[in-house]
Amino acid sequence: MHPSECMTLFELTSQIREVIGMGFPSTIWVTAEIASIRTNQSGHCYLDLVEKNDDRVVAQAKAIIWVYHYRSLLQAFENATGETLKKDLKVLFQVEVSYHPVYGLSLNILDIDPTYSLGEMARKKRETLDRLVREGLIDLNKQLSLALVPQRVAIISSPQAAGYGDFITHLQNNPWGYQFSLHLFPALVQGEGAAISISQALRQVRRKYEFFDLAVIVRGGGSQVDLSCFDDYQIAREIACLPLPVITGIGHERDDSVADRVAHTRMKTPTAVAEFILSGIKSFEDRIRGSEKSLVTLSEHFLRDQQYELKMMTEDLHHGIQHLLLQYANRNDILEQKCHAMAQSIFHLQHHRFSTLFQKFTSITLQTLTREDGKLALLEQALKYLAPDKVMKRGYSITLSERKTITSVINIPPGTILTTRVTDGSIISHVEACHEEK
Amino acid sequence: MKKNEEPTYQKAIEELESIVSEIERGDMDVDLLAEKVKRAAFLSQYCKKKLRKTGEELKVLLENIDRDETGDNPDPTFL
Repeated sequence: MHPSECMTLFELTSQIREVIGMGFPSTIWVTAEIASIRTNQSGHCYLDLVEKNDDRVVAQAKAIIWVYHYRSLLQAFENATGETLKKDLKVLFQVEVSYHPVYGLSLNILDIDPTYSLGEMARKKRETLDRLVREGLIDLNKQLSLALVPQRVAIISSPQAAGYGDFITHLQNNPWGYQFSLHLFPALVQGEGAAISISQALRQVRRKYEFFDLAVIVRGGGSQVDLSCFDDYQIAREIACLPLPVITGIGHERDDSVADRVAHTRMKTPTAVAEFILSGIKSFEDRIRGSEKSLVTLSEHFLRDQQYELKMMTEDLHHGIQHLLLQYANRNDILEQKCHAMAQSIFHLQHHRFSTLFQKFTSITLQTLTREDGKLALLEQALKYLAPDKVMKRGYSITLSERKTITSVINIPPGTILTTRVTDGSIISHVEACHEEK
Repeated sequence: MKKNEEPTYQKAIEELESIVSEIERGDMDVDLLAEKVKRAAFLSQYCKKKLRKTGEELKVLLENIDRDETGDNPDPTFL
């Protein structure tokens, strides 16, 4: 091949530029997914656009948004979608196909139709929600009951987020002086990596759930865009499976995010979440105060009733006692009279019996004495007659041996000295012989 | 609930409200009333006080959480 028949590279690229210019004379609307996006120092935005078929890249192109378009396009897109231009987002661009001999093929982005992205986002969100419903996760967290007094709060937020500060301040400066135990599980709440970071924070809470009454996810005060991380399936799943009620205060102005849908309670702002918690505690304390009030009223009534009853009973008792006393007094009188009469009659009776007995006794004694007197006189006479000197005078004597009276011949040997007493003296004699009479 | 046990808010208010309704029924002995009112006063005071103080115990527990978190790994049992 002769060099004169060849083209230089510049000639070729110039020709390509010409062909492309002719092939794509006007702008084209094209749908594509953002594979990467970055801005350089001068503010131009460089993108890699792709089309995927089942996760396989089937087309790829470089694209650029010049700085003078970029600011207004981004603003309009964010205003319309609440989302920023970022990786994985599907966007409908108005492009100009341009070819530069040095920089190659590039799509020059002139406009963006946000409604397409909105539709795409809605579709993706619907898919996520459908999946959560299918898996039975959508209402799982709502089935948990809120603690009566949620004082121990796990906070998932970024310490830099304005919403976090709002939440803490509002909770701690409450007018009732309620105290809280707050613990922050730090996470990125916007930008790239937010979804993963929030999921991790939720997992940490799940491991310590017994130390808390509830978990809150708060952010806000900052940019109203870049909230699509809260539509992330993984975050939703973590929220659903947390054994604590989750309250969201993500700061959406638009419809609920997926996180809001699976959460136990959805509040618009972090301040509203604090308000929600405080109102729960306030109503608990109101219940206590209500009980206190009814207790006081009831006790007063009760005591008043009791006092009244007591007073009535005292009066009744008083009357009763008086009545009884009167009755007793009457009865006593009657009894006393009866007693007196009875005593008198008993006395009379006894007196009579006694005197009768006394008379009987006297007469019996007298009779006995008279009778015994007679007997004594007779005995006296008999005694006089039987006296020894009288008997001796009648001729009887007493014979003694050795001072013993002899009444038998036995044991009276001859020679025994006998003393015989007579009325006027004694006769001493010797025994000659004894004759026993048969 | 045992009397010397630290009641939870739930238990405390349940007991408190049951005392109120018991007195409301009005068939209570006057000696028992004094005792019940005393118990109710204790419960409400206890709750009101507890609302306004954070347990020192919990602070310690939360500090421990921070310590535990160094070396935190994702839970492998969870998807």
